[in-house]
Amino acid sequence: MPAVRAVLCLCALVSGVAANAAQAPDFEALAASARWQALMHVNPGATLRSIGASYVDDADFFLAPDGATDIEAELVATWQALKPKASPARCRFPARYRFLAEQLGWTEAAPLAHCHDYLEWREQMPIGQLVLVFPAAYLNSPSSMFGHTLLRLDANQDPDAVWLSRAINFGAQGGAADNSMFYIWQGLAGGYPGQFSVTSYVEKIRDYAFVENRDMWEYALKLDADDIDWVVRHLWELRGINFDYYFFDENCSFRLLELIKVGRPDAPLMTDLRFAELPVNTVRALYEADLVAQRRYRPSKAGELEALAARLAPAERDLAAALRDDPALTAADRFQAYAPVRRHRIAQVAYQALRLGHREGERDPDVARKSLALLRVIQRNDAPPSEPLTPPAAPEAGHGTQMAHIGAGRQDGREFLSFGYRLTYHDLFDPLAGFLPGAAIEGLDIGLRVDADDGLELESLDLVNIRSLAPRGDFVKPISWFVHAGLEQAPVADHERRLAGFLQGGPGASWRVDDLFAYVFAVGRLESVSRQRTDAALGGGAEIGLALQAQAVQWGVHARWLEFTSHFSRLRTGLTVNLPVSAQNALRGECSRETWRSEAVAGCSVSFRHFFD
Amino acid sequence: MKKLIIGAALLGSSMTASAVAPGGPGCGWGNLLFEGSSGLPAHMLATTVNGTSGNATFGMTSGTNGCDTSGSLTYSGDSLLAMNGVLEEVAQDMAVGHGEALTALTVAMQIDTADRAHFDSIMHENFAQIFTRDDVSSGEVMENIQAVMKRDDRLSHYVS
Repeated sequence: MPAVRAVLCLCALVSGVAANAAQAPDFEALAASARWQALMHVNPGATLRSIGASYVDDADFFLAPDGATDIEAELVATWQALKPKASPARCRFPARYRFLAEQLGWTEAAPLAHCHDYLEWREQMPIGQLVLVFPAAYLNSPSSMFGHTLLRLDANQDPDAVWLSRAINFGAQGGAADNSMFYIWQGLAGGYPGQFSVTSYVEKIRDYAFVENRDMWEYALKLDADDIDWVVRHLWELRGINFDYYFFDENCSFRLLELIKVGRPDAPLMTDLRFAELPVNTVRALYEADLVAQRRYRPSKAGELEALAARLAPAERDLAAALRDDPALTAADRFQAYAPVRRHRIAQVAYQALRLGHREGERDPDVARKSLALLRVIQRNDAPPSEPLTPPAAPEAGHGTQMAHIGAGRQDGREFLSFGYRLTYHDLFDPLAGFLPGAAIEGLDIGLRVDADDGLELESLDLVNIRSLAPRGDFVKPISWFVHAGLEQAPVADHERRLAGFLQGGPGASWRVDDLFAYVFAVGRLESVSRQRTDAALGGGAEIGLALQAQAVQWGVHARWLEFTSHFSRLRTGLTVNLPVSAQNALRGECSRETWRSEAVAGCSVSFRHFFD
Repeated sequence: MKKLIIGAALLGSSMTASAVAPGGPGCGWGNLLFEGSSGLPAHMLATTVNGTSGNATFGMTSGTNGCDTSGSLTYSGDSLLAMNGVLEEVAQDMAVGHGEALTALTVAMQIDTADRAHFDSIMHENFAQIFTRDDVSSGEVMENIQAVMKRDDRLSHYVS
């Protein structure tokens, strides 16, 4: 033991000498290094707020008083704080310690041995593989409409039990009473602090894939154990540290890129301006930086059920629906006539359909009894493992998130040119690959027209336009809905259209046969037209339509009738055809006719639509 | 010596955590099969804000609220089963004969890779002895699993 102590002392002496020898490290050069910039979360120009300063909005993260804006001062303060042996600051900043030790040649044997909390926590952090996880869009929660991203830490590459892995999440830290609308408002306004958290991955699978029924995409990253060591050390430094949370740019996806950059500071991850950072663009950025090793698809429970049910013959599907309601039918000849393998498959669909509706909510003894009865049937009828599900096109294979269009048309005998821009993201007739069928989300969509008489006019400005066509089937009966708000030219008198502010929406139902959706909505509309005698009009009615979402072409027809309280009605009918000509380009033809009392405004247009990021 | 004391203290704290956790809301030995996930306030928050409640959710062995979501790598099989929603997935995997939940259980129970397929098939065969009732609790399921393992030559040494 004395010998060991002597060696330790010698080490301390040597490192002291080394530090003395390097009396004044070149702080300027060190502070400019990519790793220090990453550790400090310096904004390299990726967003417009405070370029060159740290994104961290928490005094606890900095050792120098002006550390947030002067990262060289922070480096000097860090050097002073971490240099002394057994310094408590080392336990707060293990990644900074590693940075200084490597740069300045500190060679202490066990420099963090006194950091019991860190070591205990660190012991439980697997360092085998870092994975970006992308639970796909979830229309029923506004803050998850574009999907969410998180990181996963696995014990090794190709892990056989990701249920035991760790999830690293960046999210707003709110109270349990917060609801989504308030969250979005606060998120946009920057009112929420965001923090990193570390939880168990099985909880995330449960929340996303089992309860919310979102498919999950898992992208294993090419970070080696050494890179991941940096990430995990730095994660500890971010424990309880607040960042500003902005829904549009400094959101979960953006923060994860910063964290990955700590492991790979040279990766070109934040070189571009990243406004409206969407999870899918984070995935694309990782592919572009050549950081993705492998992609894996984890279907939601609903997706799994749908796929397994599709493999049954129609008669088997009917039987599965019957078994779900009454498992006693498994004793009937109708079921027993099948071979054991078929019985297994049918009972499995019946079981999964039963559970789909009952994973949330109070425990129901009757459902529990039926569930176990079906499991016993599954168990008694052996079958080889099912073929794995074929994944749909991955989200990053989809068209770009922004879109510009230009076109021409004719309305009421007058020709016009049209052009416009949409910030985000996808409508029912845009190329489908990589997007959720039946889901449309549009934000900030501006359409302009020029004609000989009126010159340039605003045709429409959609602030938000969301449609969820959730098809009803044998096993699920979801509600479809839409909400749409903005400005548009609306017919207000014979042959006259005026710009109207509107908010409309309603619940509905939809059905799906292969690529064809049929839908019906109840519609409520509140409208306010400039320079009208009445300030606002309230209307109610209905909309019906068809939408075909095939890979080669998309088309739809719809009719919407509205009766307003101020004694007028409108009937709008429309036809849309969309023809993708390449991955990022499409041609679209549209015709519509809208009546004002008995007079109609009718027109058709064609446009070229280009998608980009 | 000092190291030993620290080790004991760490062990003590994590044992406390897992002893307390099963009694936590929506989680624990009282967890019945087909429980559903109601009464899990964290879920609402996770859905709406992609976030977590600010209550020490950093994978620490103490201070987590609700389920013992702490040492996921050091999960024993029983704390895994006690987690909300897991029991149901294990039941389905045992009925089918394989699956991710069952694999996670074998890893948590530290069953050798070479014995996992055997474990899966023994669990499948003895499904009726393990999931005895539709309101069996996670604690009973763990006892039943161990009883089945004790009767099997290849698996008995894991529970002795």
